Amino acid sequence: MKDIAIIFNREFRAYFYSPIAYVFSIIFIVLNASIYMFHFFFFGNADMRSFFSSLPLVLGLIFIPAISMRLWSEEKKLGTIELLLTLPMKTESIVLGKFLASLLFYLVALAGTLSIPILLLFLGRPDFGPIFGGYFGAVLLGAYFLSVGIFISSFFSDQIVSLIITSLVCGFLTLIGWQYVPMVIDGWIPGLGEFLYNYVGVTRHFNDIERGVIDMKSIVFFLTFTALFIYLNAKFLERRKY
Amino acid sequence: MVELEHVSKYYGVTRALEDVTCRIQKGEIVGFLGPNGAGKSTAMKIITTYTAPSRGKARVGGLDVLERPLDVRRMIGYLPETVPLYDDMLVREYLEFMGQARHLNGKLKSRLNWVVEACGLESVLQRKISVLSKGFKQRTCLAQALIHDPEVLILDEPTSGLDPLQIIGIRQLIRNLAHEKTIILSTHILSEVANVADRILVVNQGRLVADGSFDDLIDQVSDKNSIYLAIRGTRKELQDGLKGIQEVRETAADSDTPRGVSGMHVYYSEKIDMVKKLNELIRERGWEVVEFHRERLSLEDSFIRLTRADSGKPDSGASEKKKGGGR
Repeated sequence: MKDIAIIFNREFRAYFYSPIAYVFSIIFIVLNASIYMFHFFFFGNADMRSFFSSLPLVLGLIFIPAISMRLWSEEKKLGTIELLLTLPMKTESIVLGKFLASLLFYLVALAGTLSIPILLLFLGRPDFGPIFGGYFGAVLLGAYFLSVGIFISSFFSDQIVSLIITSLVCGFLTLIGWQYVPMVIDGWIPGLGEFLYNYVGVTRHFNDIERGVIDMKSIVFFLTFTALFIYLNAKFLERRKY
Repeated sequence: MVELEHVSKYYGVTRALEDVTCRIQKGEIVGFLGPNGAGKSTAMKIITTYTAPSRGKARVGGLDVLERPLDVRRMIGYLPETVPLYDDMLVREYLEFMGQARHLNGKLKSRLNWVVEACGLESVLQRKISVLSKGFKQRTCLAQALIHDPEVLILDEPTSGLDPLQIIGIRQLIRNLAHEKTIILSTHILSEVANVADRILVVNQGRLVADGSFDDLIDQVSDKNSIYLAIRGTRKELQDGLKGIQEVRETAADSDTPRGVSGMHVYYSEKIDMVKKLNELIRERGWEVVEFHRERLSLEDSFIRLTRADSGKPDSGASEKKKGGGR
């Protein structure tokens, strides 16, 4: 536990050493707020539906890859991975420390969007059930995408390559959860699209939670996949020795 | 303290180490010597648990590196060849992080003060690592290797990038540490190994080709006994005189002598007192001796001979230098 805290401390601080983190956080907040404001003024609804419906794509394509890209790629490029993996710490502790630091950074950025529900509170009478659900889903979704991004960054020493591959994978996981994409895939290979939609795509599970329906299946889905990718990351780094 | 037992390492089909066996005792300073790509760094990575051997066993303090990696890592301080540092941290922050990661807890402050003084980092403690000179980066990385007072110190090119004064300082530090620690260092600077190490392991193409002290290595590759004699006189005079000694197997003229002086490398294979025989010849001929000494191979010559012999290449470089009269 102490080892996780030591790595977490270094990694979380490292985000604030670089301007990239600030830039991406501002982009994340401004982009989400802009998309939301467009819908808000166009349709005049005092809810956050439009915010949460675009969130998986914004997270998967831009923000999460930008947070996760440096976590292992930078260590590989600087060669610090050699010292890190020869410290008297379990690889799992190092991976968890990095994951939790990136998760906290994401949560800080996500907290920046809380200005939207606060604004709604003054402008109308929003139903806070779906808003709480949406934020809860955003935490689970962010954690899942981050575990995928960290795992991918352990393969590459180039941060840009990590970013692009993570974008592609998270983008795929999002799109496969949209109804018409599996239909197209089913047209090529019958049954595959439906399988991917049910068991791999994140959007359906995120939408369930975002609607305020706290379905245990969806929660278990996100937690299981997050744990799986953290585990795979540690195992991959151990296997690298051989 | 450190044992490699028939250790081999393959990266795919590429052989990095092949059947290396050696045992390093506590308190020894051992220098790994070898050309680039010889397998020195691979051997170090195996000892530090960063990479696993494909075959064989590696042990540190009696513990297997694969079975007890965390306990092995606690015993080891490691300075990798690439001098890996977090550029965005201050030197103090970095050393504190490494100290915490090494579980120093209450000892952190005192150990931090010790390494800062030992490695001469007082003036840069509050500076960002990215703005340090190469020498200070090297010393910062050495400091992290020492911060937990490890029993075994693995130093891959420890003086690379340092100026001569800093090199002397680091060498002295290594010598001071040697009384209580086992030190394994690799370097391309041959004189450094000769100066610092008690024992030299020569690695070439993944195989251990020599293991011994500086003197042992030179004896191992010296296939001829050799004496250099220079007199005031002509080369013919010297050659004629040497022809009279039956045990002289070969001579090589030294073309790099002052005017009026002739020099000759005298090689002999039999175990006779050649100095006595040459003294008798000098007295008999009444020669004025300008230079007269036993010749030994330099560490450079020994290294070339060891690595070339192992590669199956002719030993031309070393013998040409000898016959050309290099002293």
